[in-house]
Amino acid sequence: MTFEEHLLMELKAEIADRTERHRRVTRRLYAGGVVGLLAAAAAFAVPMLTGTETSAYAVSTNADGTVRVEINEFKDADQLEQDLGAAGVTADITYLPPGKECKTGRGKTVGAVTALGPGADAAARMRDGGLDIDPRNIGKDQTLVLEFAGNDKETNETRKQNTLWRLTGSMIKGQVGPCVAIDDPSWKSGNKS
Amino acid sequence: MRRKQAKIATDPVAFEAFYRRNVDAVTRFLARRVDDPHTVADLVAEVFVAVLDSAHTYRGELGSEIAWLYGVARKTISAERRRAYKQYQLTDRVSGRRTLATDDVTRLEERIDAERNARQVFEAMAELPQGERAVLELVVIDQLTVTEAALALGIRQSAAKVRLHRARRTLRNLPFVMSGASG
Repeated sequence: MTFEEHLLMELKAEIADRTERHRRVTRRLYAGGVVGLLAAAAAFAVPMLTGTETSAYAVSTNADGTVRVEINEFKDADQLEQDLGAAGVTADITYLPPGKECKTGRGKTVGAVTALGPGADAAARMRDGGLDIDPRNIGKDQTLVLEFAGNDKETNETRKQNTLWRLTGSMIKGQVGPCVAIDDPSWKSGNKS
Repeated sequence: MRRKQAKIATDPVAFEAFYRRNVDAVTRFLARRVDDPHTVADLVAEVFVAVLDSAHTYRGELGSEIAWLYGVARKTISAERRRAYKQYQLTDRVSGRRTLATDDVTRLEERIDAERNARQVFEAMAELPQGERAVLELVVIDQLTVTEAALALGIRQSAAKVRLHRARRTLRNLPFVMSGASG
């Protein structure tokens, strides 16, 4: 084999590698360890957050055994965790101001489990402006970690932003470390990825 | 957000077609500048890795492919020259130094030999200011049009023309250079 053919083979392997790396990163971003969901200011956020309830959130149980949570205000995280716990969902909820995120590495993420996503195998699924959480997809000794960053209400101020709020979800096995809030550079760039 | 990648960096079939169209031209481009077969082979690898890295700047529909590729090759080779002062280290992404079969070496040596004149011209051009030399190189030695050379260097066509004109004036007494020049 000539060196040109040899090189072509290596380069094609490199392309496959890169595609795989990219896919893995994308998949991880959407499904596995850490999931980022961005809400465009109007389209996505309003249905999730326009509840009629006066309380900050509402937790209920669906007929299929999943637990539904609708969040109206980014407050009372501890109370929400307790209510979710009572419904069989081990969760860790954090609310952060816009432009912040929790430093990664709060615990050992469970790669095989989809924390947040559209599929039925995900522990938490976004539907009709709320989250359907399936406790059966949260294993023993695992915690569904949900980090909301941003504003819960649209205002004149937030209309200038690309992002109203952002939800990051992950599944952590064992101890969940505290959220250390750090700047999230993707807010500044108005990145909508 | 990740910029959209050109197909040549993501689709193995598209890349293979691109590679086969151009590997020869790239090899000769490098053989005009470097006279060691192993280094040429390593640089061919580097250039195509750089192609994968720079694929987001590739616009198939904009001007000629070869001009873009020569632009990438030029950057690679200048990176190579800078590195020559330090310890030479090939990126580990495409494995180490090429191992060349005897046949490969022979073929590369033939290429290098065929480009001997070009390398002599390079030496003659060494005195030119860098900007002028870059245009002259691409037009005279690599046979690009002025428009393509401008594209490869990321400068305006008018600027390329001016530089070319100046370079030719300086090198008026080099017949080989003049005869190869076009447009």
